[in-house]
Amino acid sequence: MPRPIHITTPVEPLETRIKRLRITKSRQKELLAIMDEAWARLAAERKTRPNASALPGEKPKRDSAAR
Amino acid sequence: MTPPPVNPNAVFLNIPYDEEFQKLYIAYIVGLSQLGFDPCITSGIPGGDRRLDRVLALIQSCRYSIHDLSRVELSAVPPATPRFNMPLELGITITWAKLHPKRHTWFLWESTPRRLQKSMSDLDGTDPYIHSGTVEGILSELRNAFVRDGAPSVLKMMAAYRLVEGNIERILTGAGARNLYAASVFRELCLVALDVVRRTKSVAVEFTTDASEK
Repeated sequence: MPRPIHITTPVEPLETRIKRLRITKSRQKELLAIMDEAWARLAAERKTRPNASALPGEKPKRDSAAR
Repeated sequence: MTPPPVNPNAVFLNIPYDEEFQKLYIAYIVGLSQLGFDPCITSGIPGGDRRLDRVLALIQSCRYSIHDLSRVELSAVPPATPRFNMPLELGITITWAKLHPKRHTWFLWESTPRRLQKSMSDLDGTDPYIHSGTVEGILSELRNAFVRDGAPSVLKMMAAYRLVEGNIERILTGAGARNLYAASVFRELCLVALDVVRRTKSVAVEFTTDASEK
């Protein structure tokens, strides 16, 4: 088995990391709008199917009454 | 030539830029972002005499590197030629890390066990991370390679991956591009992956399971 590395370096603030990507503000807005919609769809899906996973790929919450 | 300063959270990704690898490429970007790292690739570095200098400078500026040799194989288009860019960049990295062990740590990744012994027996004794050619394999092995407090679970990283992957077409359309590996698209994928981190605070706080809390 390869040896894992324990990372202790602090994570940089997101704003710094985003700034380094050098994406224009207008394009950032467009991309964030796409993700806004994706999250909104997810939230809507969750409303109509409350027992469905909160995010795609997550296991649905257990219904405690069913246990 | 003075080497550039090292970004302690930067990970150089030595990967194939082909269609079959796209999902794994997105998995690397999302997984590394989730773990608090900044992925770096060589796309966008122009060809010519200075390309190799720039590749070296990029490796030197990254604290870590991942060398995914799972698709080092003969090209399908005649004449059948082995793909040597990845092993070449691995060789450069190994030399750099040997000379400056505190500045750089490299990792080998493969899709199947024992393939590396066959393709590069000089690396005997170096255990690769095996991702089995799957997105889940990449995310799981990233968590195994980089142990960090507050790291999200593989399940949660998968959820983040699906969120990004599900919007690829829209991102490409907006960028007016078809190539996922183009430098501008790579940066946009990084931004979107960071946005998922921001909304879920996955490194600092455990990934929320309630999407309405964004």
